[in-house]
Amino acid sequence: MKRLWETIRSPFQLLGRTIALLPSARKSHRKILESMYSIGNQSLVFIALTLAFLGLILVYQGAYQALKVLPDLTPVGPVFIGTMVRVFGPTIVALMLATRVGAGIAAETGSMTVTDQIEAMKVTNADPVEYLVVPRFIASIIMMIVLWVFGVLVAVAAGTLIGTLRFGIQLRTFLSLSGTTMSDVWVALFKCVIFGAAIPILAADSGFKATGGSEGVGWATTKAVVHSLFTVILLDFLISSIAYRFGW
Amino acid sequence: MSKPVETDSFLGNFGRTFITAFQTVGAMTLLQLRIFRSLLAIKNFDYDESVTQLFKVGVRSLPVVVATATFVGALMVIASGNFVRATGATTLIGWAAGTAVFSEVGPVLIGLMFSGRVGANNTAELGTMVVTNQVDALRVLGIDPIGYLIVPRFIAMIVMLFLLTAIGDLFALAGGSVACRAVLGIDMRIYWQGILDSNLLSEFIMGLVKAIFFGGAVGIVSCHWGLQVTGGARGVGRAVNDSVVTSAIAIFVVNFFVTVLWT
Repeated sequence: MKRLWETIRSPFQLLGRTIALLPSARKSHRKILESMYSIGNQSLVFIALTLAFLGLILVYQGAYQALKVLPDLTPVGPVFIGTMVRVFGPTIVALMLATRVGAGIAAETGSMTVTDQIEAMKVTNADPVEYLVVPRFIASIIMMIVLWVFGVLVAVAAGTLIGTLRFGIQLRTFLSLSGTTMSDVWVALFKCVIFGAAIPILAADSGFKATGGSEGVGWATTKAVVHSLFTVILLDFLISSIAYRFGW
Repeated sequence: MSKPVETDSFLGNFGRTFITAFQTVGAMTLLQLRIFRSLLAIKNFDYDESVTQLFKVGVRSLPVVVATATFVGALMVIASGNFVRATGATTLIGWAAGTAVFSEVGPVLIGLMFSGRVGANNTAELGTMVVTNQVDALRVLGIDPIGYLIVPRFIAMIVMLFLLTAIGDLFALAGGSVACRAVLGIDMRIYWQGILDSNLLSEFIMGLVKAIFFGGAVGIVSCHWGLQVTGGARGVGRAVNDSVVTSAIAIFVVNFFVTVLWT
């Protein structure tokens, strides 16, 4: 019970310190750009691959199920694009980012911790949170939004391909935004910001707590992935229910 | 394995991506073949190690899988709630959430969670054994590392992901029913009736078949990255990172092909 409380408390503590140090980010925009490159650009192929297959499968299943219940396939495209924007886009991109970026940050901070580099930083009066967490925090929030847009576009392109070629839906019927509202976009954007903030904090938190050689780094990385995957789903649930309750 | 030529040009990077990807797929296929060969020679099979692995893989990841599945079920109900509200067809909610959970979202998200919990842990464990020369020590003792280390893990992952998906699906439905009442304000009976009426047996079985393939994929991928770790703590961290990324790609690709072949 005490361990559970500690697991919940310490990321919040790190989040608090990160937010308090946000003003210091002004002098480190070079580091922010580097983090944006490693979080965003280097995830492009990964996000494109997974989201393309997600788009393919959603349209395939959607059309297949729709043929069982309804006679026509006109709603498949709009419903697919709407769900992609609001539900699957932010969630799946965040889950992918949690596996790639979360594991990466934890591996990096974890191996710095076990080789005493974090201690060395503290000795030289440099704050590890300011140097390691703040740039990644900002970069992750920005890149999460960018990757959400990118991921949705890739998934819709892949879905359009299978919808028009395999199921013979007219391109103009398929590519319709009639199933997407402005509130879908706002809810999704909000989710992206929250997920983008949560992932680096959880990953860095478990990285800083790594102890004892390569085994400790492995453990920290595993913990970072599990915690950030689960947190994304939990936050998604909370945001979705509140948004539904308020009718957004 | 020969390293691709080091260049910084765009084309060089582009080509390098493909060469590394093919090398990885090739190495994994070889590992797969060695596992099957070891499986055929039953004498290599280590019973105790298999039971330990089944326990480690299954029992320890049960809480996180159950918790994830419950929230995923709730999420699917809320997602379909948006369309139910637009059309007013409350009877469709059980069908929509049930189909989504059984055939796609349930197996995929439980698989991703599993790869994070079990696959990553497995890579870290094997990687640590490699960097501390324990795998070489096994070879010196005349024990085949594939038969002793890899095969029990591979089997444990397939068996346990299958069982975890079956359990997780049920928790997802339960989570969905709670969300249906608490968030959407629709009577639970309508939701359960919708699930029972829509005859989802085929979707449920397809999800379990997917789980078998996902378990195999996570097993191969995590063992592959664990066995080829080099260079201390940093190397282990990087291997875990590569392992979860490759597992996620494998899950989405396999998912697509199983669905297309099934329907």
